[in-house]
Amino acid sequence: MLNLFQLVLQIAVILVAARVVGFLFQKINQPQVMGEMVAGILLGPSLLGWVAPGMSAALFPPASLGYLNALSQVGLVVFMFVVGLALNPTELHDYGHAAVLTSHVSIVAPFCLGGLTALYLYPRLSDDSVTFTGFALFMGAAMSITAFPVLARILSERGLLRSRMGTLAIACAAVDDVTGWCILAYIVVLVRVTHATRPAWVTIAGSLVYVALMLFVVRRFLPAFERSFRRHGRLSDNIVAVIVVLVLASALATEWLGIHLLFGAFLMGAIMPKSPEFTSYLLHKFESVTVVLLLPLFFAFTGLRTRIGVGGGGAIWFYSAIVIVVAITGKLGGSMLAARLAGTPWRDAASLGILMNTRGLMELVILNIGLDIGVISSAMFSIMVLMALVTTFMTTPLLEWVYPARLLRAEVDDVAQKSVA
Amino acid sequence: MVLVGLPVLGLFGILEVGRSLAAPLSIGGEWTLEFDPAANCAGPARLRQPALNISQSGTSALITLNDGRATTIDATIDGSTLAAKSLTATITGKQGQRVLEGKMDFDGCAPVAFRAVRQTSKKRGE
Repeated sequence: MLNLFQLVLQIAVILVAARVVGFLFQKINQPQVMGEMVAGILLGPSLLGWVAPGMSAALFPPASLGYLNALSQVGLVVFMFVVGLALNPTELHDYGHAAVLTSHVSIVAPFCLGGLTALYLYPRLSDDSVTFTGFALFMGAAMSITAFPVLARILSERGLLRSRMGTLAIACAAVDDVTGWCILAYIVVLVRVTHATRPAWVTIAGSLVYVALMLFVVRRFLPAFERSFRRHGRLSDNIVAVIVVLVLASALATEWLGIHLLFGAFLMGAIMPKSPEFTSYLLHKFESVTVVLLLPLFFAFTGLRTRIGVGGGGAIWFYSAIVIVVAITGKLGGSMLAARLAGTPWRDAASLGILMNTRGLMELVILNIGLDIGVISSAMFSIMVLMALVTTFMTTPLLEWVYPARLLRAEVDDVAQKSVA
Repeated sequence: MVLVGLPVLGLFGILEVGRSLAAPLSIGGEWTLEFDPAANCAGPARLRQPALNISQSGTSALITLNDGRATTIDATIDGSTLAAKSLTATITGKQGQRVLEGKMDFDGCAPVAFRAVRQTSKKRGE
């Protein structure tokens, strides 16, 4: 039975922890979201459950977590819509060969290294209910993701959004995200079909019909929202409600098809009209509640499933080190090398690699899906969460080291002067 | 082409090699236990069904007893043997119809033979 007092108390504690740790992380030049992610981990068995098990059990009893999970999933549905909305893969055309090559290599290199690592980790951290193909593909997808929203926030906070390297990074991350989610959808179908009662052809044919309907039918009607926005300068509550219902319907369709709730929400956002005013209006409308209230709940729920350093002994730390090194080599190294080969100067290429290596909360979303469908074990989940935290945390200091703020400002001013001229 | 094509070919090779790898037997999930009725021990009566909840990560497992105190036991899986401080068992049966047969220690008793049948495997989103 729902214990409302406990749920409200949990939400209050999570929000306070998220804001406090987020504030502290901002003080050390980290994005707020990094602090919120760490706050979630601190509330779980990795810290609170370890130092104060009684308090942890009283505050987050296992039976109560279903409600917290439900709320965080609703938040994720809206968040994925926002991520899809902010994406504009057509931007890639503006950056030519460097962007195309970098975005492709920044997916393929970590994907293959992830698969290679799976050869070592599969007999140690998986079990025979998971096929090697499913495990290896999931590892590859999880290694190759870039946190588009965190990346955009880091660039924005450093005033880099309008720099050459910043726009290139955003374009590459957009392509990475779209490709990464397509690959993940395939993996989810692959894993679920093995265990589902629904025939495989229903999922595959249904997915194709769904995508075709979204791209060729639903997409045609969406500009009506944009026209209404242009006429009135805002969207009425009824229209916003219609958009929410469309997001939920799309999410339900993909869940019913056996892909995942989040893919539908993401695709709905991705096919929305992309005029900057309309997009920024919708982002403003949806982002506040999601980012301030619902995402911290997701971080806390993720933290409650994460047991960093708990159990498994020294071997877990060794596996974690391998995963972190492979993730950084594949993503940072791959992107940097590709950008350099495409003629980008070393400093820009290195900065691009560092930015693409940011995994942030998109990684946590993917890992939670992996744990839910059983393709990774709880130990593997914890290792990958640690990798997500490390790769996100290192972005800002590494970027400052490779591309100091004074150089960036000079470059941004140069770009601004050229555009004025 | 080289930067993308070669790694993709490599990935196919990895998937092919990986198919021959064997992962530890899956035992994650909830299990109902049947104890030897001839055993003269009060310990088994303290367990409610499903008596075991096993959380598995590769060759490591955490067994939680449904004894009201949620006692946890660390265990390892070596081939078809599950070994823990107060429990040893052999894992038999195919994936999906897995069975544990072994002995469990209780305070003040000789080890009691048991047979466990898995009720639910780990969540698969379906």
